[in-house]
Amino acid sequence: MELKRILHVEDDPSIQAVTRLALEMVGGFEVLSCSSGPQALAQVDAFAPDLILLDVMMPGMDGPQTLAGLREHPALADVPVAFMTAKVHPGEIEHLRGLGAQEVIIKPFDPMQLAQQVRLIWQNSRR
Amino acid sequence: MDPSPNPAKEHPADPEPSRLSALLRYEILDTPDEQDFDDFTQLAAYICGTPIALISLLDEHRQWFKSRVGLEVCETPRKISFCTHTIQGDGIFEVQDALTDARFHDNPLVLGAPGIRFYAGAPLTTPDGHNLGTLCVIDRRPRALGQSQRDALVRLSRQVIRLFEERLLARRHAEQAALQQAILDSAASAVLVMNVDGTVARQNPAAQRLFGYEDEELLGRPVSEALFPRDALENQAALLSAEFHQSIEPGFAVLTAPLRRGPQYMREWRLRHRQGGEVPVLLNVSPIHDESGRLRGYLAIAHDLTFQAQLQLRLQQIAAQVPGMLFQFHWHKGDYGSFPYASEGIEQIYGLQPEQVANDMTPILEKVHPDDRPRVSAAIHRAAEQNGAWHLEHRVLHPQRGVIWVEARATPVPQADGSVLWNGLVTDISGRKAQQAELDKQQEMNRRLLEALSEGVVACDAQGNLTLFNDLSRQWHGQGARPVPPEQWAYVYGLYQPDEVTLLAHDQVPLFRALRGEHVRDVEFVVRNGDQVRHVQANGNPLYAPDGTQAGAVVVMHDITERKRIERIQREFVATVSHELRTPLTSISGSLALVCGRVMGDIPPHLQELLDIAYQNSLRLSALINDLLDMDKLSAGKLRFDFRVQALQPQLEQALRSNQGYAERHQVGYRLGGHTDALVRVDPLRLQQVLSNLLSNAVKYSPTGGVVELTSELRDRWVRVSVRDQGPGIAPAFHDRVFQKFAQADSSDARQKGGTGLGLAISKELIERMGGRIGFDTHTEQGACFWFELPRSDLIESTSGEGNK
Repeated sequence: MELKRILHVEDDPSIQAVTRLALEMVGGFEVLSCSSGPQALAQVDAFAPDLILLDVMMPGMDGPQTLAGLREHPALADVPVAFMTAKVHPGEIEHLRGLGAQEVIIKPFDPMQLAQQVRLIWQNSRR
Repeated sequence: MDPSPNPAKEHPADPEPSRLSALLRYEILDTPDEQDFDDFTQLAAYICGTPIALISLLDEHRQWFKSRVGLEVCETPRKISFCTHTIQGDGIFEVQDALTDARFHDNPLVLGAPGIRFYAGAPLTTPDGHNLGTLCVIDRRPRALGQSQRDALVRLSRQVIRLFEERLLARRHAEQAALQQAILDSAASAVLVMNVDGTVARQNPAAQRLFGYEDEELLGRPVSEALFPRDALENQAALLSAEFHQSIEPGFAVLTAPLRRGPQYMREWRLRHRQGGEVPVLLNVSPIHDESGRLRGYLAIAHDLTFQAQLQLRLQQIAAQVPGMLFQFHWHKGDYGSFPYASEGIEQIYGLQPEQVANDMTPILEKVHPDDRPRVSAAIHRAAEQNGAWHLEHRVLHPQRGVIWVEARATPVPQADGSVLWNGLVTDISGRKAQQAELDKQQEMNRRLLEALSEGVVACDAQGNLTLFNDLSRQWHGQGARPVPPEQWAYVYGLYQPDEVTLLAHDQVPLFRALRGEHVRDVEFVVRNGDQVRHVQANGNPLYAPDGTQAGAVVVMHDITERKRIERIQREFVATVSHELRTPLTSISGSLALVCGRVMGDIPPHLQELLDIAYQNSLRLSALINDLLDMDKLSAGKLRFDFRVQALQPQLEQALRSNQGYAERHQVGYRLGGHTDALVRVDPLRLQQVLSNLLSNAVKYSPTGGVVELTSELRDRWVRVSVRDQGPGIAPAFHDRVFQKFAQADSSDARQKGGTGLGLAISKELIERMGGRIGFDTHTEQGACFWFELPRSDLIESTSGEGNK
């Protein structure tokens, strides 16, 4: 099995664009970009992603809340989720992992390395 | 007259015992013959014309003859005596012919020797009416006395009794005289008896010893001339003349004149010894009167004061050694006091002589400072009333020394006459007062200083009793120094951790730590007083007494509430801004990375350089923001460390690999020198961060083609990692600021060399958090060498491992 489809939830359109470009152009993945948690929850079943990238700080429904919503979809039980955050307080990584995230990607990320990073996360989740 | 004995008639009670005791009182029985008595018996025999005359005394069993004419025996039994009949009557008892008298015809004295036929006796009657015996005449033939003879016999008997009386009196006088003599002879005091004219009539042995005169040298001489120094007499004469308003001669009158005041006169004198020396005496003079009240002379008793004088001299010598004035103060009820004794120190204290106050305290009171006089006077009265110890400090106006402070202490000895004698000491405490005043001044100054401080100051003594809260600290704590045990200081005074909610443990309280001898530096805590929350920074120190013992502790608190608030705002601002910056920056640098990475296709050559610049600077901006955030977390204590024990060498190698690209871009080479097997306990990510900082710094300042050397070496319990470059070194003026935030050797450096100016400050924090230390060596011509040292974990492990073998 191979990593192909990535759901990306990010409210900032610029980062959304850069991330999508990095994943599509460098990694060759199929990316569905959503601008909010509710939008992602509405589309996730139809898209059926192999991996989900979640921004933490979003207006309205934030990353952790979106994750909780996603966990209610039985089909997504085995789909790895990684948070992307700029705010790294002590213990925050542990906290986010405790919520059920596979990994935490720190912003700003290197878009040239992002695809590789995501691939590693996916592979680790398969073990 | 009735010759028969009839005692009951005149003496209702048996008179015999009292008669016998009267007889014995005269002490005449069994004494030798005396001419005085014999004269009377001879006279009686002659007048009455009898061969025998007797003075007969009757005791219990016999008659004893004090004097006898014409008779050999000196006593006969009383039973057969004629006299026993005589003494039972008042008048003459006469037996004209014993042979014809029924009472005596068979009397052995009649029938045998001396053959009495005639007897006539007159009773010897004492003034108090006792008949002791008789004066009697006896003949060996019957006869009768004529009236004149009887009369003469009675008169003679009275003379005999008179003689008895005289004899008794003389005896009594002799006894008295002997007693007097014995008393005088054995008296320890010298006694002189003077005639009315002042000549010496008698002296006792003590007087002889004291003054050295034999009787013949002294008796009959005027006492004033023999024993009294002329000048002393003249002085006294002058005083007495003034007292009595009458000229008193400087002779014996000096001793007698004072007797007008009372029955005796006592005074100390320094009399003259025969050899010329002085004899200190207490002389008591009293007049001698006879029974009729006539002045017969004077008695002078002199107590030798030589010993007292020696004692007094010793006391004086001791007193002279005592700094101050020793005194005896005699207080009489009714506002009258005197100083019977005052040591020479009185001159020093009051500018007076002892004599001036011997009889009157007024001169001393006048020397007391006018402002203190009522207080001193009141204290004297009060102490006298309460009979308590007296202690007072007051000022004295000394005639030469000006105003001085003295301290007086005295203890009372109540006297029998109701007066009080105080023994005490007055000392000059001007020096102490001056010191005290100086101390008071200093304390006042200290107090004002404390109040003027913008710092809170608290202090305690060695026992942990709070002794000082200045205004500010009282205000902060809402209370001042109270008797609170050190264990409760935090609770009572609201001392909290900087988190504002956790109470300080009692051994965290700075004052407590200082009290235990610790020098407390820049400790931050919170003082809460109701709603008021105050952050303070405290420094504390033990206080030491001049002898080096700890006398307490003091803590100075500086209010840092405002600084804390600003720091917090700063931190929040930095965090917020950093985060807000990161989001756009992420997209900028991300986009540029994608463009420059040719992800979107080739870049026209004329755009290549500009895009590279944009990309590099977006990276630098990211680094700056990361450093700012790190610094913020470090100073807020929020950075977490994930400690692991691991080999140092692989870490160094990895750091070189990670920074290889950077070095290449700057055309600088790395060299790994030295090699150790040391283990260190670090957070590998943070260690990499430090190494990156040091390596990139070294590269930045290296000349093109230069080499940066990374080495490690063991140093005792530490392992040292050094990064040496071949750059210009560090200017001495900059040495102090190397590890400060935003410090770069030259503000233009930041632009020229890149970097945030936070790298070294962060590295220092990180190394110190990992238990290490950081520094640099520099010689401007040889480049700079930054180093850090970490404690070796292998050392501990290998040691314990060896111990287990």
